[in-house]
Amino acid sequence: MTMSTTSAGLEFHDVTVAYGRRPVLWNVDLTVPGACLFGIIGPNGAGKSTLLKAALGLVPLAGGEVRILGAPLEQVRARVGYVPQRESVDWDFPVTVTDVVLMGTYARLGWLRRPGPRERSLAAECLDRVGLADVADRQIGRLSGGQQQRVFLARALAQQADVYFLDEPMAGVDARSQERIFRVLAELRAEGRLVVMVHHDLRSAGDWFDAVALIDMRLVAAGPVAEVLTPENLRRTYAGRLDLLDEIGRAVAEGGRTP
Amino acid sequence: MILAVVDDSFPAAWIPPYNTLVVAAGVASVGFAAGVVGCFAVLRRRALAGDAAAHATLLGVGLAFLLGGGRRDLPLLLAGALSTAIAALLGLVLIGRWTRTRDDAATAIVLGVSFGAGITLLSGISARGIPGSAGLEQFLLGHTAGLTAADATILGVMSLLAVGIVALFLKESTLVAFDPLFAAASGWPVTLIDYALVVLVAVMVVVGLPAAGAVLVTALVVIPPVTARQWTDSVGVMLPLAGIFGLVAALSGVAVSSAVPRMPTGPLVVIAASILLTISLLIAPRRGGLARWLQARRTVAAWADGRLLEVALRLDSDGPFTREQLLSWAPGVAADSAFKRLVRSAALEPVVTRAGTDAWRLAVWGRELAAERSRRVAAWTEVLEAAREDARGHLTIDVPSPEAILGAARMKAIRESAAAERGAGVARAGQPWQPGQPGGGAGG
Repeated sequence: MTMSTTSAGLEFHDVTVAYGRRPVLWNVDLTVPGACLFGIIGPNGAGKSTLLKAALGLVPLAGGEVRILGAPLEQVRARVGYVPQRESVDWDFPVTVTDVVLMGTYARLGWLRRPGPRERSLAAECLDRVGLADVADRQIGRLSGGQQQRVFLARALAQQADVYFLDEPMAGVDARSQERIFRVLAELRAEGRLVVMVHHDLRSAGDWFDAVALIDMRLVAAGPVAEVLTPENLRRTYAGRLDLLDEIGRAVAEGGRTP
Repeated sequence: MILAVVDDSFPAAWIPPYNTLVVAAGVASVGFAAGVVGCFAVLRRRALAGDAAAHATLLGVGLAFLLGGGRRDLPLLLAGALSTAIAALLGLVLIGRWTRTRDDAATAIVLGVSFGAGITLLSGISARGIPGSAGLEQFLLGHTAGLTAADATILGVMSLLAVGIVALFLKESTLVAFDPLFAAASGWPVTLIDYALVVLVAVMVVVGLPAAGAVLVTALVVIPPVTARQWTDSVGVMLPLAGIFGLVAALSGVAVSSAVPRMPTGPLVVIAASILLTISLLIAPRRGGLARWLQARRTVAAWADGRLLEVALRLDSDGPFTREQLLSWAPGVAADSAFKRLVRSAALEPVVTRAGTDAWRLAVWGRELAAERSRRVAAWTEVLEAAREDARGHLTIDVPSPEAILGAARMKAIRESAAAERGAGVARAGQPWQPGQPGGGAGG
């Protein structure tokens, strides 16, 4: 299922990924237009994170290809930003909030060059944007989960990318942080950037995304929220989890914003 | 003068002999570099790989000795050690990539096999009484007494080179050690940087051989970084600090061993390093055992104080209460000392006032404190119900004001959604506390 676009931000063509002999993604063919907030939704183990990693070249493809902004990843790497899952790093690591945000500038700096005043002021700006200016010098372990997630977002902002990939940035995050993160993502979209985000909570999907893809190893459906999050599509994605489905059905029917 | 101790054959000399000075300087830089390089082994959780490499060095020493025709030429032996150390690391990578063996098992296998082979070879060499083989077993536990100035210079220069490389690539190493996924996504050659760091650890393990020996040299790479981590939250400080700890450990081990005849240096270096570590684990601010113990005690005390106040407020509505009553409603390890603190308050800003030998009333101030605490506990209970992530992110055991932390608007929204859920007829724990319901209420 492909959405009509003028310029595609992100394209997956028949992408298949396997860990060992076991496929995790199965012939995913998906086109995401530029400048939108795009959600990748599906049950646990559906391959949502793997899809992001496939786009970022972090897992080998068994087949197919990914194009970002119409080009292969190697050509546009500098225009791609990434927010990994919060659990993927050791938060006891001896670095400060600012140190982590500065890492967003490293790729542009290249080998050996250290961040200077320009990078530092960019980092401060990014921290301010996610509302963490007052904890800039704190060790990263001494932050709440929501603040840690916002540190990762600030680091991605420091990458000054055109396409952003976020892996479950709302998981285990308090309401204030969610609000803040979402506002920043909406700003990025308004600036003409593409934001692709793995998300686990179906109920809030309608509030946040312009378009979504439902994934369960294969692509179930993709397109505008109202067209994709139908009871039929959800049943095909979350087969066998009927208790959840009723809840989803209600949420979709209400269509309103759920806190 | 520490240096004067290094060679006890010159006890009265003000200026130690040239050789002693050079050996001391060499060992000092080995200790410093081992600490610095070790930081990334520890931060990247590769300490055990370093240990496998260290145990593999003996095999290389033996092979190099045979290939060199029985010469005890230190650079040659160390080159041999380095090659088998790197071969061991390569073995680790291959086992990890091509078999389904787990990392820890793979490390144990490589360590065991290479160490066994090394010991066998060295025993064979010394059993045959090959001339010049006499000192080879000194690589097992370390022995610096036989080092020449030339040897020590080589060790020192290699160490300083290793420190230089780490300093040069500090940015890249920190990035890869902290978040390899992000590093790879932004285009850094993570595998290459990783291998470079591991090879650097192998180099330090080899350079540290004369000082600490194959069995214990890992300690010189691992203990100083862990010690340094206790004192700082910054990589930039941790590196030089670990270097200094390593330097002190290496120098003092060498100094003591040279004062005691036929004492290998390795164990002494490790003992010196572990003394520094023990002190740091105990007394470091925030991360130290003492600080954590005090913190834990304060937490328990603060919670007990609060619980006691809450119970006192409820009992007080029926008139004076006794100590017995109070403690029976607020059980817990720290309740007794909390009660003492409560009574002691009577003098200054009275929380309770005495109404008899063992009869107490809450004072006005105490009532205010207790009411505020009950309010906060109830509010946080609502947050836990209606917005679990907010509570998980911000609730601490000292029960801060939820409005101050989450904002009044957010609290209002949470209250409303909690009320709505209750309205839906869902029975919940955390109902208002009723007398005759021990341990009830939010804190129970």
